[in-house]
Amino acid sequence: MLQYCLKRIFRACISLIIIIAVVFCLLRLMPIDSYFPNLDDMTETQLYNAKEKLGLNDPVPVQLGKFYTQLLHGDLGVSNRYRVDYPIMKILAKKAPISIKFGLLAMLISLPLGLLLGVLMSRHRNGLIDRIGTGYVVLMQAVPAAVYYLMLQIYGSSWTGLNILYNSNVPSSIILPVVSLALPSIAWYAMWLRRYMVDEENRDYIRMARAKGVPERAIGFNHVFRNAIVPLIHGIPSSLLLTISGSIYVESLYSIPGMGGLLVEVIKMQDNSMVQALVIVYAALGIIGLLLGDILMAMVDPRISLTKKEGAR
Amino acid sequence: MDRNVILSIQDLNIKFTLRGQTLHAIRGVSLDLYDGECLAIVGESGSGKSVLVKSCMGLLDKNGFVDSGSILYDGQDLAKYTKGKEWEKIRGGQIAMVMQDPMTSLNPLKSIGWQIGESLKYHQGLTGEAAKNKVLEMLSDVGIDDPKRRYGQYPHEFSGGMRQRVAIAIAIACNPRILVCDEPTTALDVTIQAQILDLVKDLQKKYHLTTIYITHDLGVVANVADRVAVMYAGDIVEIGTCQEIFFDPKHPYTWALLSSLPQIATAGEKLYSIHGTPPNLFMPVRGDAFAPRNPYALDVDFLYRPPYFEVSPTHKAKTWLLDPRAPKIEPPAVLKEIKNLKALGGEWGEQ
Repeated sequence: MLQYCLKRIFRACISLIIIIAVVFCLLRLMPIDSYFPNLDDMTETQLYNAKEKLGLNDPVPVQLGKFYTQLLHGDLGVSNRYRVDYPIMKILAKKAPISIKFGLLAMLISLPLGLLLGVLMSRHRNGLIDRIGTGYVVLMQAVPAAVYYLMLQIYGSSWTGLNILYNSNVPSSIILPVVSLALPSIAWYAMWLRRYMVDEENRDYIRMARAKGVPERAIGFNHVFRNAIVPLIHGIPSSLLLTISGSIYVESLYSIPGMGGLLVEVIKMQDNSMVQALVIVYAALGIIGLLLGDILMAMVDPRISLTKKEGAR
Repeated sequence: MDRNVILSIQDLNIKFTLRGQTLHAIRGVSLDLYDGECLAIVGESGSGKSVLVKSCMGLLDKNGFVDSGSILYDGQDLAKYTKGKEWEKIRGGQIAMVMQDPMTSLNPLKSIGWQIGESLKYHQGLTGEAAKNKVLEMLSDVGIDDPKRRYGQYPHEFSGGMRQRVAIAIAIACNPRILVCDEPTTALDVTIQAQILDLVKDLQKKYHLTTIYITHDLGVVANVADRVAVMYAGDIVEIGTCQEIFFDPKHPYTWALLSSLPQIATAGEKLYSIHGTPPNLFMPVRGDAFAPRNPYALDVDFLYRPPYFEVSPTHKAKTWLLDPRAPKIEPPAVLKEIKNLKALGGEWGEQ
């Protein structure tokens, strides 16, 4: 197990190093303008000195090497245009927790509810619950999020008297955005769990368990649910970590000062170092999410070979 | 055969509903199972072999139901069981089953020790150390070396034959009285088949099991069975001891089945096959279900369903040919070849 984890961590590090290099090099190809808000007024010497200060006159590999050491010290650089010369770390430290708070709360609601709905749907296949649940899943999947987010905001606030916008001083104002975030994830978890459970129901070993005389309840939990949850488990660390990126739509609807839309905003502003930092952070989270997902999978599924080459089932 | 009847099926009818239509899968089967015997049920795919035994364990698919008839076991009519709770005591504890494909009949995410222990938990209330000891005992009983190490391993660490041994261990863990083997060797390597058959034979003696083999491999039948029931289109058309069925078959379907054995075919000639297809069981069957495919069919076969004609106290067949008024028809000459095979010595299964 330890060997497996170490191998995976090693591979993840390599991918991350490559991603950083690619992102860094691509952004060096961008026009230099964006680094200086007042480019038009600068003389050649000023420009040279300014670039020298930022280390932009060095060859790219040297710059990249410096950037790696900088990252190792936990420094993502400073913003150029979004907030001039302000450390990016500090910007993230302020915005990320807000997005994480909403994301985690939404997940805390959607994971149990989604799994419960999925179990109920598969247990009462073709019954009333299944039909209602399927209707809900189809609604969430087919109707553009914009429609039900807006409806929820408008009717949710007028019927219940909740704030229409997020206000950090009013705790109840987080309810509507969290529900908005949770609705589609509930549908997602329910849809997949139902599907995997229905698949499992038809397996020979479920019939075998029944032929052994195991009570239905125990079959449902120990065999059907236990096996159906495995494919879902893989995605959970990723969704957990990526709550940090926030939701563009929900955050702008409720004017939440989170991470949602930040990347788009800094791209529009051509704030290269912010773009670079954000892309790297998201990539890192994605990789760590997958890594944790793989390790979790290996813990719940003994078939995932820990030492031998894969594909030797 | 003056042994005790332990399971008695009386005029059983089983139907399935499929897209609004009704399929009559078992059409009035009566069968007595004697204590300690080994009964083989043979027949082509779709003849209802599996459905028949599944109904004795309440394992019919959700759209299947017992329409009429009874399944008497231990003074109770299993056909009247509806609740899962009632069945749970029968399944595993009284009647156990080994399935066809050992590659899919074990849960890949649970250790085999856990899977054997699971039935012990529900039937005998054994847990912890006691259960583990019993599991280890079962593992060595089914011929698995080093049970202590194997206990914690997962199905993917076992070969097909070993998995089938585990499946057998699961089946007999709770000392059932009847063991149903649903084509237990079909998915296995030929060399492993014989080992598994021998294992079941040994266990049958050791645990005093009554076994039912479902198979379409007549080699297996010759190897293990005391009695053979031949099924066609949801009915048992002929039943008798292994000797009677192989050496003195009476039903034209049994003739056809035996004639298509590759073992008695002559080199260079086409292998015999039964022409036509089995009847559509969505429709009512008139007369003898085999009549349209039967070269020896009489006019009466198309009109009336034949009753059982008794050939000997242990041998009966459903064919009008046995009626005293019927013309005398000799079975196909090729069937005499069977006597020349060292068949019943058990060599077939190992070819």
